[in-house]
Amino acid sequence: MASAHARIPRHSSARAMLRATGLFGLAFVIFAAVLLAAGKDPIRAYRDILSSTLVDRYGFSEVLVKMIPLMLTALAVAIPSRIWLINIGGEGQLYMGALFATWAATYFAALPAWELLPLVAALGFLGGGLWAAISGVMRAYGWVSETISTLLLNYVAILIVSFFVFGPWKDPESANYPQTAEFVAAARLPTFFGTRVHLGLLIALVAFIVYHVVLTRTRWGLEIRAMGGNMEAARRSGIAIGRYVLVLMFIGGGLAGLAGVGEVSAIQGRLRPSLSPGYGYTGFLISWIAGGNPYGIVASALLMAVITAGGDVLQMAHRLPGSVVNILMALMLFVVLARRRVP
Amino acid sequence: MRQRGPHPLRVLLVLVTSLMLVVITMGGAARQANAAPPALIVGILHIGSVTDGGYNQAHAEGVRYMQKMLPGIEVIEVENVPESADAERVMETMIQRGAKLIIAASFGYLDPALNVAKRHPDVKFEHPSGYKLAPNLGTYWANTQDGFYLMGMAAGKMTKTHKAGFVVALPVSFFLANVNAFHLGARSVDPQFETRVVFTGTFLDPGKEATATNALLDQGADVMAMIVDSPITVVQVAERQGAYSVGYHYVGVQKFAPKGWISGLAFNWGPLYVRFARAVMDGTWRSEAIYGNVASDYLVIAPFGPAVPASVVRQVSASKQAMINGQLRVFMGPIKDNHGNLRVAEGQVLTDQDYGKMDWLAEGVIGQPR
Amino acid sequence: MSVPFVESVLLGAILSGMPVLYAALGEVIVERAGVVNLGLEGVMLMGAVTSFASTVRTGSAALGVLAGATAGGLFNLILALLVVTRQANQLASGLALMFFGAGVSALLGAPYIGSRIAGLNPLQIPGLAHLPYLGPLFRSDILAYLAIPAAALVWWGLFRTRWGLSLRAVGENPAAAYAAGYSPPAIQYQALFLAGLFGGIAGADLSIGIVKTWAEWMTAGRGFIAVALVIFSRWHPLRIVWGAVLFGGAVALQLQFQARGAPVSPFLLDTLPYLLSLGVLLVWAGGRRHAAPASLGRVFEGTK
Repeated sequence: MASAHARIPRHSSARAMLRATGLFGLAFVIFAAVLLAAGKDPIRAYRDILSSTLVDRYGFSEVLVKMIPLMLTALAVAIPSRIWLINIGGEGQLYMGALFATWAATYFAALPAWELLPLVAALGFLGGGLWAAISGVMRAYGWVSETISTLLLNYVAILIVSFFVFGPWKDPESANYPQTAEFVAAARLPTFFGTRVHLGLLIALVAFIVYHVVLTRTRWGLEIRAMGGNMEAARRSGIAIGRYVLVLMFIGGGLAGLAGVGEVSAIQGRLRPSLSPGYGYTGFLISWIAGGNPYGIVASALLMAVITAGGDVLQMAHRLPGSVVNILMALMLFVVLARRRVP
Repeated sequence: MRQRGPHPLRVLLVLVTSLMLVVITMGGAARQANAAPPALIVGILHIGSVTDGGYNQAHAEGVRYMQKMLPGIEVIEVENVPESADAERVMETMIQRGAKLIIAASFGYLDPALNVAKRHPDVKFEHPSGYKLAPNLGTYWANTQDGFYLMGMAAGKMTKTHKAGFVVALPVSFFLANVNAFHLGARSVDPQFETRVVFTGTFLDPGKEATATNALLDQGADVMAMIVDSPITVVQVAERQGAYSVGYHYVGVQKFAPKGWISGLAFNWGPLYVRFARAVMDGTWRSEAIYGNVASDYLVIAPFGPAVPASVVRQVSASKQAMINGQLRVFMGPIKDNHGNLRVAEGQVLTDQDYGKMDWLAEGVIGQPR
Repeated sequence: MSVPFVESVLLGAILSGMPVLYAALGEVIVERAGVVNLGLEGVMLMGAVTSFASTVRTGSAALGVLAGATAGGLFNLILALLVVTRQANQLASGLALMFFGAGVSALLGAPYIGSRIAGLNPLQIPGLAHLPYLGPLFRSDILAYLAIPAAALVWWGLFRTRWGLSLRAVGENPAAAYAAGYSPPAIQYQALFLAGLFGGIAGADLSIGIVKTWAEWMTAGRGFIAVALVIFSRWHPLRIVWGAVLFGGAVALQLQFQARGAPVSPFLLDTLPYLLSLGVLLVWAGGRRHAAPASLGRVFEGTK
């Protein structure tokens, strides 16, 4: 897969954003037709979705909770994509981050929180980063395209996690159920305002700011942008491309790993095989529909989180089958993907 | 890379605010349309599809029955809820919509249910596992081991090869106890009986279940049993290969095996759910571990198939009666595991509480309880 | 009574390898034309549900396979619309297609759950069906017999016909193909429709051939394995057969090991197909760009 040619189109103006909003609107209209065909009232359905997600305090907090892993896995795609690397491995990197974090939380359980938490987060970052770096190395040496290797390694990572939670790490107190023992309190990421919104949100926001500042304000970022503009020219001007491939893959994977840290340490409190309902893949989609734009990523992650949380409401209040959520999400994506490109 | 637009967030803000305004204006109109409030709102979460012909469908049908018996009740139901961060949100949303009883119908919902239960002491929770309790979280399950022992007896009587195959999703303690009980039941009538277990690692992968069934039949098993979400695949493959089958979860599966059907265990959750709902409405609900057995109205032994002779049916019924009377116990020592270690000493009897810790397979069972 | 180990593994390999084989044969066609379809999972689900529903309705498994194939072909045209006509990103479009297929198939299939069908039945070839070791090869259903001819047909179509030449030209260099008088969009549409037929057959094989039932998400990741198989085969239809046998064999072996009580972790064994694919790519890394079609993943910009 000649990834060097498939780059994320970048939006250039607020007008593009406005157009994207219009496209999402179109998708909602199409889905409204689907709802009407199923004999449901689309306006009531949309009102219920919004009133239980954005305008409700708890609902909004849960939307934020859902957005954390989506934003981090989307960044994991967006950062390497700056030099045309395609990372479909967010899911595997998330699992590897969770695995490393769990190891830290279990092995250093005696440490106080202010030492243990940074360690858990750092190891999570390392886990995801190293997993992505495997693909980075293979790409830097020109052996295997990172598109292929990250996709394949997703499955390997999930199976490795299964191996540990079904085997050596299984909690003897959990009826032989495949999960590790609960983390000690010191290994749990703090949450805010009595909701499940956790430190991961701040980490994600900081990551966004750093991403933005590094790209626009530093020499290093300028080099990356130069490479993003023209790989061949960058090589001729003496930039060590291989090192950038490795570093950007490592950082991207590390951020996906942090998404895994959030899920095990803040949400679940232990490692289980059903850690992620496909955050890595949704993050990939988010990054692409946002064109790698930081604001676009936040907005698209918000939209995906609202659709997922709103899906519960469609089922509860409108007796629609759960599968309808997949259809809504797909329609949304179809419309956005099929948009006319902004030159 | 080019100049990024200065105001994309503002656009988003405008959009969100205008949508909110629409919501608020329409909200007023809708509130008036509400009819008399229901006597009780029950929320139920399913891990899979409510039309899976198995585990989830049994819970869904139980709720349907409850609604029929207690017409004043409203049910809010969400299917395909992953055991990830989502489960907690779904329960909270149900509570916001007025649910006072929540049935969290999968083992992996336990941690989220305990978290939500702590925040809402006025809402009652029920979790099907027979594992953990909280002041407002009860647990319910049934002693399926007794049932599987009886199924094993029938299988032991029917087999010609003295071998059974068991397709199991995960090596969870309760499932291992079921396999062991089945095996001990079979051994009680056929001392050379052998049970071979394959774990598929997932509750739903019909393709893998078919391959596993074939692998087990190829090793000479002529009776198949399973613990996966839907028994349909295993029963059908066994029937086509001329083997007997014992079903689980879904009584309707019988029609897939007109010849080889022995019998099966299924849950009829309806009566139990009616009891839960009544207790919550009366204010008599208590946090308890309900652990039914073969005498309970919600653990059903399916009708026997035409291949099973009357003498076998009589013998199984007699043993069932003996269990109800307390004369027959499934795990009565001495029992060794399949590595030769003594697990239940002479004179010792394992009870329901021990099943949750079981991590071994009995002598004569071939398989690895990883 | 019991079947020898080798035969049993072979039978298991055929059972678990067949659906991914058909799916991968379709995928190799589109990838040769320069398109990656990550939504194969959705295509297979559509094929599985349509063939099951039609078999329930008509009682004919042949009609079921036909309906499943048609549904898969038509469903893939959605991807064609997105990535060929609208030039959308292929990987993202594929994932969206997967979500769509999962949702639509679940809706369509719900009324048919618990239905009983005869489905595709094994056809025994007299004289060969009871050969030692190789017997299971001759006790399979019609789709299994047709698998190798199908692979040969795809190979012939891709490498021995004018159409195949033009298709590969589009996959290598669309601009040059356009200059040579071919219409890359038309060829990619054809490739996607054909691939959809194969994906639909793969789903049909699963639902009415192997398990004779329908369940939501019953493909359980086989679509992605098929994509991996295409990579493993280095974009060659005949090598896909070996890949499918290897993958099916790994699954069958894993279950056999368990049934015999061997202490091997099923999870680690399950990683084999992915690691092997990666390993093959690494070994061939020095070769001519792994024989991957050069324009794969790139969107043809047009040379108007």
